[in-house]
Amino acid sequence: MMQPIEGLGENFRFLVLEVSNQLQSSREFLGAPSHALYDKIVSRDDYIDNLKNIIENKCFSTIHREKDLSKQAINQIRSAQIICVNLERIADFCVNIVRQVGYFHDPAFLGRFEYKEMIDHILECLALIQPSREKGDLSGALTICRAEFELDRMYKKNFDRIMAELRTGLHVEDLITALFIIRYLERIGDSLLNVGEALIFAIIGEKIKIEQFQALQQTLSKSGINAPLSEIDFQSIWGSRSGCRISRVSAKDQRVDPAQGSIFKEGNVHKIRREKENIESWASIYPGLGPKIFSYHEDGENASMLVEFLSGCTLDEVLLTASEETIENAWFVVRETLAEIWKTTLVAAPAPSASMRQLSARLDSVLQVHPGFKRAHRGIGETSILSTEEILAACRDLESGLFAPATVFNHGDFNLNNIVYNHAKQRIHFIDLYRSGRGDFLQDVSVFLVSNFRVPVFSPEIRERLNQMIARMHAFASQWAAEHGDATFQARLCLALARSFYTSTRFEMNHDFAEEMYLRGVYLLEKFLRHKDQPWESFELPVDVLYS
Amino acid sequence: MGDEKFTFESLQDPKTIRDYLQSVIDGIDKGRVILSTEGQEIVLHPANLLKFSVKAKKKSDGGKLNMSIAWKESKREALKVGEIISISS
Repeated sequence: MMQPIEGLGENFRFLVLEVSNQLQSSREFLGAPSHALYDKIVSRDDYIDNLKNIIENKCFSTIHREKDLSKQAINQIRSAQIICVNLERIADFCVNIVRQVGYFHDPAFLGRFEYKEMIDHILECLALIQPSREKGDLSGALTICRAEFELDRMYKKNFDRIMAELRTGLHVEDLITALFIIRYLERIGDSLLNVGEALIFAIIGEKIKIEQFQALQQTLSKSGINAPLSEIDFQSIWGSRSGCRISRVSAKDQRVDPAQGSIFKEGNVHKIRREKENIESWASIYPGLGPKIFSYHEDGENASMLVEFLSGCTLDEVLLTASEETIENAWFVVRETLAEIWKTTLVAAPAPSASMRQLSARLDSVLQVHPGFKRAHRGIGETSILSTEEILAACRDLESGLFAPATVFNHGDFNLNNIVYNHAKQRIHFIDLYRSGRGDFLQDVSVFLVSNFRVPVFSPEIRERLNQMIARMHAFASQWAAEHGDATFQARLCLALARSFYTSTRFEMNHDFAEEMYLRGVYLLEKFLRHKDQPWESFELPVDVLYS
Repeated sequence: MGDEKFTFESLQDPKTIRDYLQSVIDGIDKGRVILSTEGQEIVLHPANLLKFSVKAKKKSDGGKLNMSIAWKESKREALKVGEIISISS
C-alpha cells in the first residue's frame, strides 16, 4: 500500500516501535519508579523527536521534489506526516506523565486508580498502526479512532473517583497528581483519533468531515444548545459520505450567490450516471424537487457532473437549530410533498418486501465496525435463543411471503440530511439521488424514522424534537396505509426498521448508542419471527421501539 | 425527584427463590412490581421495551447467576402522539 520513499517505511516502523516502548517504560515506571528508567525515558524522547523530524523532512521533500506523484501517493505521504506528528506528541505525554511522579508523597498512590488499563488500551492501538497502514485495513483504523472514546470513558470513571475522594479532604496533593497523569492518558486518546483519521485518509483518500463536525458544533453553540462535544459523534457525520467527492464550485475570492452556486460531483461512472438518470426521473415526476444538471461528462471509468446547489437547510440542521414553528412548517411541506409524490407515482401491483436482502448485503460492513454485533446460539434451560444468523435466515424465509400491495418512486436514501428545506420558498428538495427507484413506500419511511433516532445528540430537548418528528412520520405513514388498504403495513415496517437500526450501526462509533440500535433491530426481527404461521395482516408493530 | 432504591440480600432454599421469581413474573404481567421496606414502597412499572441481560459464572467452588431487567420511561406516551395525528389532514 505504501509508496516506496527511500527508508521512510523503516523510519516509520521504528517510530511506532519506540513510542510503544516509551509507553511500556512509562507503565513500568509508574509501578516502580527509578532514576535509571526516568533517564531512559527522557533520553528516548530526544531520539523520537529526531525520528519524527527525519520522517517529516522526507515527506515534505518528496512532495516538493517529485512532480509525478499520484494523488494516492500524496495522500499516503500526508497521512504518514500526520501520524508521525501525533506519535511524537504521545511520546511527549509519556515524559509529562513520568515527571508528575515526583510530586507524589507516596508513588504507590496511583495504584488505586485504573491507569494500567488505559495504557494497555493505548498499546493495543499502537500495535494496530503498522498492520492497518500496510494492509490498508479500515477496521484497524476505525478501532484506533474508537480509542479516543474508550479512553474518555476510562478517564471519566477515574475522574469521578478522584473527585469523590477529594471531597473527603484527604490526600489532596496525591489526588491532583493522579488526576494530571490520567488526564495525560486521556489526551493520548485525542492523538490516537488523529492517527486513526490519518489512516482512514490514506486508505480511502478522503478527509473525514472534520470541517462539517466543526460546523455542526458552531451551529449548535450559536443556537444556544450546550451539547458537549462528546455527545456529538463525528462518525455519524461520516455516515453521510456518499463515496463521491463533492465540493462547491466558486471563484476563490468571490462570495457565492446561493441561488447560483453549483456542486461538482465526481466518481465512478456507474454511480454518477445513475444519479444523473434519477435526477432526470425526479424532474419529470416533481419538477424542482431535485437539483438541475448543468453539465455531465464521462471519461472512461469516471464521470463528473455539475449540479445545482439547492439552498436551504438540511432537515437535521432544522431539527437541531430552528424554532418549533419552523420545524412544524418544514414537516408540513415534507408531508405535502410526499403525499403528492406517492399519489402521482403509485402503481398498484404487488412487490416483494426486500429488507432482509438489504440487511444481509450490509452485514459485513456492520461487523467490520462492531465485531460483537452478532450472537451465537444460546439456551437458558429449555428455552432456546437463536443466533443472529438463524434469525436472519428465518426472517428471510418468512419475508418471501410478504408483499407490498403497491409501489411508489422512492428517494432511496431518505435520511434527514438528504432533505433540504427552503424556509423562504416553503418547499423541500431532495439531494443525493443515487439510490432512487421504484419500491415499497416504507423504504423511505423506515430510513427517515431511524435517521431521526440515530442523530447522536442526547440532550432531552433535542431528543424530544426527534421523537416528535418520528411520531409525525409514523402517524402520516400509518394513515396513508389505512387509506390505501395496505393491511401488511406493520409487518413490512417491522422488517424495514430492523434493517435500518441494524445497518445504521456501521456509522456509529459510540458503542453504547450503536448497541442500543443493534438490540432494537434484533428485537424487531424476533418479534417478526414470533408471528410465524399467523396472517401478516394481524401483526402489530411494537411502536415504542421507535422512540428514545 | 431523587432515585429510590431497594436492596435485599439473604440465604434461601430453591423453593423460596421460586416464590420470589414468581412474584416478579406476576408483577411484570401486571405492569407493576411493588417492593417495600417497613411500609416504604417503591413501585416499578416495567415498560414495553425491557433490556434483559443474563450473566452466569461457574466457579471452582460454586456458581453465580445474575439476571437484570432494565428500562427507560416510555417516550411515546410522553409525546401525546394522538395530538400529532390530529394535525394530519
